[in-house]
Amino acid sequence: MITLQHYLLVSAALFSLGIFGVLTRKNAVNVLMGIELILNSANINLVAFSHYNSANMDGQIFAIVVIVVAAAEVAVALALVLTLYRLLKTVNLDQADMLKR
Amino acid sequence: MNSADILFLVVALITVASAAVVVLSSSLIYSAFSLLVTFFGVAIIYVYLGADFLAATQVLIYVGGILVLVLFGVMLTHRLYNLNLKTETFQNLPGMIISLLVFVSLALAATQTHWHTISQKPRSPTTEAIGILFMTDYLLPFEVASVLLLVALIGAAMLVRRRTDL
Amino acid sequence: MVMANLQSLRYCLPELTLFVAAMVVVLVDISLKSLRRILNPSLTLLCLVLAGYLSLRAGAADSGLFQGMLASDSFAQFFRLLLILASFLVVIGSLDSDELSPVHSGEFFVLLLVVTAGMILMANSTNLAMLYLSLELVSLTSYIMVGYLRTDRLSNEAALKYLLYGAVSTGAMLYGFSLLYGMTGTLNLYAIRDAFVSQGVDGFNQYTLLLVVLLIMAGFGFKTAAVPFHFWCPDVYAGAPTPVTAFLSVAPKAAGFGILIRFFFSGLSQGTGTQWSMMHGLNWSAILVGISVLTMTLGNIAALTQNNLKRMLAYSSIAHAGYIMMGVAVLSQVGLRSVLVYLFVYVFMNLGAFLVVTVIYNSDKTFEIDDYAGMSRRSPFLTVAMSIFLLSLIGIPPFSGFLGKLYVFGAVIDQGIIWLAVVGSLNAAIAAYYYMKVMKTMILDEGDKNLPPLKISPVNMSLLVVLLLPNVLLVGFWNSIDRWVAASARLFSHSL
Repeated sequence: MITLQHYLLVSAALFSLGIFGVLTRKNAVNVLMGIELILNSANINLVAFSHYNSANMDGQIFAIVVIVVAAAEVAVALALVLTLYRLLKTVNLDQADMLKR
Repeated sequence: MNSADILFLVVALITVASAAVVVLSSSLIYSAFSLLVTFFGVAIIYVYLGADFLAATQVLIYVGGILVLVLFGVMLTHRLYNLNLKTETFQNLPGMIISLLVFVSLALAATQTHWHTISQKPRSPTTEAIGILFMTDYLLPFEVASVLLLVALIGAAMLVRRRTDL
Repeated sequence: MVMANLQSLRYCLPELTLFVAAMVVVLVDISLKSLRRILNPSLTLLCLVLAGYLSLRAGAADSGLFQGMLASDSFAQFFRLLLILASFLVVIGSLDSDELSPVHSGEFFVLLLVVTAGMILMANSTNLAMLYLSLELVSLTSYIMVGYLRTDRLSNEAALKYLLYGAVSTGAMLYGFSLLYGMTGTLNLYAIRDAFVSQGVDGFNQYTLLLVVLLIMAGFGFKTAAVPFHFWCPDVYAGAPTPVTAFLSVAPKAAGFGILIRFFFSGLSQGTGTQWSMMHGLNWSAILVGISVLTMTLGNIAALTQNNLKRMLAYSSIAHAGYIMMGVAVLSQVGLRSVLVYLFVYVFMNLGAFLVVTVIYNSDKTFEIDDYAGMSRRSPFLTVAMSIFLLSLIGIPPFSGFLGKLYVFGAVIDQGIIWLAVVGSLNAAIAAYYYMKVMKTMILDEGDKNLPPLKISPVNMSLLVVLLLPNVLLVGFWNSIDRWVAASARLFSHSL
């Protein structure tokens, strides 16, 4: 029997993997992929709770809003990555670190 | 344990495994394509939860839009003649410890909490209900989301615009 | 009491005006190419004035709007006016900035108008989905504004860092929201509070609620630049164009505190709108007290060693967020009022300091404190102005910064948490050192004798005077400020 807890464990795993990706990856596009994992894990939570724990469909609506925001975020992120690449010819976050004192 | 449940376990395992490949692989292209598998896995999980519209949206927008953008980003930010798509990974012990801690606390919360309980709902098509909700209760987020997309569009276009045409 | 969609529109005319004006500026920018240099700023300023007037006219409905998405109460009115005022001052400050002028185009005003509307929506949200959406609207436009100087490496790096950091923080906050949804079955803040109060939070749920609060504080802490979610702040403030930095240090921070208060006071405490008490099972006040102590201390200590004035002001704004957080953490009406007063005087102090930085950059092209030496000879007016802003930031009477600190420390002492007030005053004393260091460099140090007197453009000069007046005069009006803030410190608290 598949219960709510199975879905929550999957999303917890995705969230932790996303956090790991964000903390350890040096390429900006890789960090972006980690962020997408985090957003997807929260979405799974929302839809699972909407199905098991809530009398309304608010969770699914919230999930759609999150997908919209994620799309906009990726667009802006890649625009910034491209402009940075044009200036520096690299998107390695260690090398693109002139601001650190 | 019927076949649907076994299939769910397989799908869940594939999703988590491909997510692991995304964050652990040393090649950017492998990461990007494992992300594709993860997104599809999440869409199948949505179907299991009865969210048919959301599953279709996930495939359309995440796979069809966001992943394509990410692939563009991967391809455009490497010198093509070099095709040096390997990225330095940093097998970071603190990072692994932190994410393990996070997983343990979240898993504990997931299994031990008393979630808000209601009676089981039968699965039904959701598209009409979502449409009505967006036009009545959630009208304001709907409109603000469209402004968000407009601003992201304008901003992204302005950021990558070449210097010559102001 | 919740209003339906069409009825609510009457109370959201300011936000509507801002959105419509953003579209108009886009159209003007692409069509009237000859006039747009004059038309864009004028349209923006006009729209901001109109929005302010409309919000004064509409008043507060004291009910929920748009089927429970927003709240319309005097607290919302206060933030509406404060945020519109801050944006107005920033627009004027950006007109004569040498950093922005080469690349200046209509998009800056579009982004500013949209971000103002987004911040107002954010500070008034009562539904988790609306809150997340408006927070991301503000964040996304801020990322674009920070990266506005497309050809400047520092600006690009700052924007990318800001985006990656912000996306992770708000992602964690979103996960917290989803857990909150699971525990209560609803996204409406008031319904969440009712669910917690009626069914109680016991056993393991207390741990989960604690986890939820920590995750959500990741997002709110990012917006208000509180420790330990402040790491983006110095880099982003240093890399962004100075008018954008000035804006970021004041407006999104204020909106972040608005939503912090609304979330914790209306969502996770019991209260009537003027009386507050902690909910059984969750003591978030202790967490916020801890965060405020860390924020104040780290902000002040890190600012001591900074040589770049923008980085120093970044750490100083982190410290000020710590002071404000004290007022939130005490969960009382007095604390609420102190936060509002502090945010109000903070706008004028901080914008003034950043305007001086802009003016000096315009002529000297530097942000280093050492290069400010000899400023008293080159421009006495600028030196006096900067000294007044810095003294206000320290909190010395009779400048308005003193008013803010008085209220916050008073609220803390009123609740009996004496040790916190002591820590706060020690921090204020440490802060005096680095502010005074800048003053000393400007007034006493000799500097390069060959440098000519500093010219200030008329726009910047008038804005400096406009910002100086509140810093000097507000203490005289403290009675009316007190009455205004006491009337505003009322949160709408009824559920659907």
